[in-house]
Amino acid sequence: MHRKLLSGLAVAGILSTQAVAGSVNEPAPAFSLQNSYGETVSLSEFEGKHVILEWTNHECPYVKKHYGADNMQALQRTYTDEDVVWLTIISSAPGKQGHVSAQTANELTDSREAAPTHVLFDPDGDVGRMYKAKTTPHMYIVDPKGTLQYAGAIDSIKSANPADIPNAVNYVTSGMDALAAGSDPNPELTAPYGCSIKYKS
Amino acid sequence: MELRHLVIFTLLCTSMCWHALAKTSADSSISAPHIQVSLVSEDSALVPGTTQLVGVRIEPDPHWHTYWQNPGDSGEAPKITWQQTDGMSFGEIQWPLPQAIRVAHLVNYGYADAHLLMVPVTVDKQIQPGGERTLTADLSYLVCKENCIPGWATLSLTLPVASDSAPSASAQLFTKAREALPAADTLPAAFEVTDSHIAVSVNGLSSEDWTLFPLRSDVASHSSNQQILYENGQLHALIQQSDYFTGAQDTLEFLISDGTQGYYLKARPAAPIDSVTGSETLGVSDLAIYAGMALLGGLILNIMPCVLPILSIKALSLQQHAKPGHHWAYLLGILVCFNAFTVTIISLQVSGQQLGWGFHLQSPLVIAALAFLFTFIGLSLLDVVAVGPGLSGMGQSLVSGNNHRSHFFTGVLAVIVASPCTAPFMAAALGVALVQPPVIALFIFNALAVGFALPMMLLFIFPSLRKKLPAPGPWMNVFKQALAFPMFATAAWLCWVYAGQAGTSAQFVLLCALLGFAFLLWLKATLPDKLTVTVLSVSGCLAIFSLITVLSLQPPTKVDKESASSTPYTAQTLASLRAKDQVVLVNMTADWCITCKVNEQVALSTRKVQDVLASDNIHYLVGDWTNKNDEIYTYLKQYERAGVPLYVVYGPDNFVKVLPQVLTPDIVVTAINQALQEQNHAS
Repeated sequence: MHRKLLSGLAVAGILSTQAVAGSVNEPAPAFSLQNSYGETVSLSEFEGKHVILEWTNHECPYVKKHYGADNMQALQRTYTDEDVVWLTIISSAPGKQGHVSAQTANELTDSREAAPTHVLFDPDGDVGRMYKAKTTPHMYIVDPKGTLQYAGAIDSIKSANPADIPNAVNYVTSGMDALAAGSDPNPELTAPYGCSIKYKS
Repeated sequence: MELRHLVIFTLLCTSMCWHALAKTSADSSISAPHIQVSLVSEDSALVPGTTQLVGVRIEPDPHWHTYWQNPGDSGEAPKITWQQTDGMSFGEIQWPLPQAIRVAHLVNYGYADAHLLMVPVTVDKQIQPGGERTLTADLSYLVCKENCIPGWATLSLTLPVASDSAPSASAQLFTKAREALPAADTLPAAFEVTDSHIAVSVNGLSSEDWTLFPLRSDVASHSSNQQILYENGQLHALIQQSDYFTGAQDTLEFLISDGTQGYYLKARPAAPIDSVTGSETLGVSDLAIYAGMALLGGLILNIMPCVLPILSIKALSLQQHAKPGHHWAYLLGILVCFNAFTVTIISLQVSGQQLGWGFHLQSPLVIAALAFLFTFIGLSLLDVVAVGPGLSGMGQSLVSGNNHRSHFFTGVLAVIVASPCTAPFMAAALGVALVQPPVIALFIFNALAVGFALPMMLLFIFPSLRKKLPAPGPWMNVFKQALAFPMFATAAWLCWVYAGQAGTSAQFVLLCALLGFAFLLWLKATLPDKLTVTVLSVSGCLAIFSLITVLSLQPPTKVDKESASSTPYTAQTLASLRAKDQVVLVNMTADWCITCKVNEQVALSTRKVQDVLASDNIHYLVGDWTNKNDEIYTYLKQYERAGVPLYVVYGPDNFVKVLPQVLTPDIVVTAINQALQEQNHAS
């Protein structure tokens, strides 16, 4: 009996590690991170709302492509206006490209007219690794039930050239549209493109 | 609205600035931070009507790199966009062999050294020599160390148009770049998707230092180690799936490289599971095409070396009869024989066996019998076998007579002797027929039979055609004797097939038996005392044949791949072992399953696992799904699997553990030990 309980626990353990690895159609892994105002923000606070996660590094050419063209900010404004939560996450380790102080982060938000709900710091890279975030940008959509609905690239053209933006299919927009229409995003999983995330080694 | 306009305006500005920036520098060579790029040509001039090579040379700084067509986990492949130039058409980039470059926790595919991206350019033959052309390439690239810098450059190169050219100053670069290209031929490969891995298998590669580079970025996990191993001249690679792999692909493309040479691979799914039942039915037009092809195939069979002699004799013998009757018997003989084959194959298939046309040739006994038949026909054509009543007259009288029995047996004999020829040549075409529903398969086989019968039928029906045949005369005898040799050739081939099936010593016995057989036939025709000789021949033949039978029944010595302790799986064996609370490892495998082979080599046949399996209280059941088998299918369905591999460990007290599809010795041993612990606990 005793051993049954143990093996039951082991099975539960396997299941929970699977749930932790960010996979589409599975529960989005829970996390708590500090925002640029020093407050702790948890994913669980936003149950009942759509949440968009954006991994960023303001010095990365691919991030610059989407911020320089006001593409990323336009998405942020559109969706935060619709009561969607937008979390911008920085997983760059201290000393590496893209790592910024809270103050710089707020200045960047102002100067770029960005409109995220929060800018969050993940200097240890735990949350990024949990979501298997590989590049900046790398985008995720979590539905109101807390299920991961989209993971991958921001759009369909893998380039650093802003001229490609109007010709590309934006996967965040297509994913949110599909969810609004009551269907599943298509695609729901794409290979992201951009700079590698400068994780703590 | 306002906002959208602003966005579009900003975008336009940015992209215009971009191009303005690029346009300012239209040189053949450009230096940018951490990189130098230049446009070069192999030849000194553009020659109308030829395809020649130009290329973009990329020189990153030390420790910096650029990318291959699949950049790996991050990064971006360089793009070359050619501006339109009158009379020039540009091909695709010929990518040199890439390196795997580790950057922090990621892996990129690219080039850390100077390299040349060659592009073929075809010069229109309408262009007149004289004058010059400027080739202009818009290049975009990304150069990275850990951080990346994107770049854009417009490169131009002006070349004269001339009727011949000499190597340019850069020609050396092209010679070197050619050495770094993958081979031009694409190798066929097979792949298979498990829950976490992709297994790829390729034939014909040696040495073990290969790395696979997927052409798409969402196939393989680039940073995971690849497991490469060899078995019987086949290379198997086990690659961790990408997080973005969706699985639904019917072709996967890879480059396989050992650093100095490489091949592109086009991998197809390994043995589809429902190849027998799951295939789509043919449309009417497809059916007509296949039937037409089968008819044509049947016609061609008439000139096969094993068939032609028999039919020639038949055709010539027809001339000696003014009015051949019963000609439908010939068609009937062929149809009956073909349909008997087809019905046998279909009914065996329905019962779960995978058989094709020529399945009977898999039996050494049949091969030996056919060798005797061909020797006999050959000898009778050489007139060694006396024409007359009894056994020896069979060939001649049955074939060359003019009655319905003779015609019928000519048909039957023709189909039998045709089968060694059809099997190797037509296996593929007939395979199509055999995966169709039985009615369509029968239809196609009958089209083949009609095609086969057609030339003789025409001779039967139209006397005018028969008149076109050469007049009978003494030459016929020479011709007939000459036809014996294709028969002996077929017998020689059959002996070779037999050696492959039963081994060389058995082949020697067969050859001796054939010799004895020929000797007895000769003896019989030569000696006067018919009775003694007949008894002698019949008993001799029987002795030879029984010897062959015994030898054929002994299968050739095969190296047993499975451990000695394995037992074939049956549901009953498993149930009775489980009822006795035994520890059981079930291994569901198939010859065509790549992952299974990898697992057998990497885990199951290792010392560590073999030692555990060897102990008396562990039972190892192996289910072979190489051919369809309902018992195994039921078992797989029980675990919601559509195919192999499947590994399950059972123990007392309903202990069941399904192992992952990719094994290590530790996974197997740990699972068995867990089951053993259950057993100790229970007892």
